[in-house]
Amino acid sequence: MDKKTIIYLSVWAIVLSGFWLLLSGFLKPLLLAFGLISVTLVLILLHRMDNTDTEQQKLALNLSFLRYIVWLLGQVVSSSLSVTRLVWGNKKELRPAIGKLPIDKIPQKSRVLYANSITLTPGTLSIDIDDKYVTIHALNDESIESLKHGDMVDKVYDEYKGAQ
Amino acid sequence: MILETLSIIFLVLGAFFSITGAIGLFRFPDFFTRVHAASITDSIATLLIIIGLILRTDFGLIAVKLLFILIFLLLTSPTASHALAKSARHGGLLTMAETRDDKNKEAH
Repeated sequence: MDKKTIIYLSVWAIVLSGFWLLLSGFLKPLLLAFGLISVTLVLILLHRMDNTDTEQQKLALNLSFLRYIVWLLGQVVSSSLSVTRLVWGNKKELRPAIGKLPIDKIPQKSRVLYANSITLTPGTLSIDIDDKYVTIHALNDESIESLKHGDMVDKVYDEYKGAQ
Repeated sequence: MILETLSIIFLVLGAFFSITGAIGLFRFPDFFTRVHAASITDSIATLLIIIGLILRTDFGLIAVKLLFILIFLLLTSPTASHALAKSARHGGLLTMAETRDDKNKEAH
C-alpha cells in the first residue's frame, strides 16, 4: 500500500465512523466495537473493490459542490411551481416534448450528476443516456430549450473543475 | 413558537405538493407525463416536509438523521424515475410527442 491509498482509506474511515456515530448516538463500548467492526469491514471491501476496478471514488464534498446543490434546490423549487400550475391548470397547456442534449463535452464522472439533476427538477426527465446524448422528456418545449441554452451544463462543469 | 408556526407552514405546503403530485398522477395523459407529476412528490414535497420536521426537533441527532433521509431521497428518487422511464422506453413505449408525429405522417 502506498501513501496515497493510506490517506484515501483514512479519509473514508473518518467519514464512515462519523456517519456511524451520527446514526447510532450510543457511546457504550460494546456498540462502539460493533461500529468499529463494520467500518473495518467496509474499508476492506472498498480496498478490494478499488483493486478490482481501479477507479477510486474520491469524496467530492467541497465548496463548489455545495454551491451547485444550493443552486439546484432553487431550480427544483421554481420548476415545481410551474409543474404545479400545469397540474391544476388547463390540460391543453400540456405539450409533452422530447429532445436530445449533447453530453460528449461533459466529463464522464459528471454525466450522472447532470442526468440526475435533470430528472430531479420536475418537468424534465432524462429517459436515456449514451456516450453522446442524453434523451430528455419534458412537459413542454420551453423546458428543453431552456436546458439547451440554460446554464445547468456550465454549472455542472464548474462543479467538476472545482472538484479537481 | 415561531419555529412551531414555521414548521406548520412547511408541513402544510409539503402536504399540498404531495396532493398535487397525486392529482397530477391521475390527470396527466400518459406514462411519461405521469412520472413528471410523481416527481413533484419526490422532490419539493419531500424537501418541505423534512424541513418542517427538522424545525420540530431539538436540532440534535434526530435532525441529523432527518437530513440523511433527505439526502438519500434526493439521491435515489431521480435514479428510480430514470430507471422506470428508461425501461419503459426500451420496452417500446412511445412518448406523446412521438405518437403525435406518427399520426401526422399517416395523415399526409
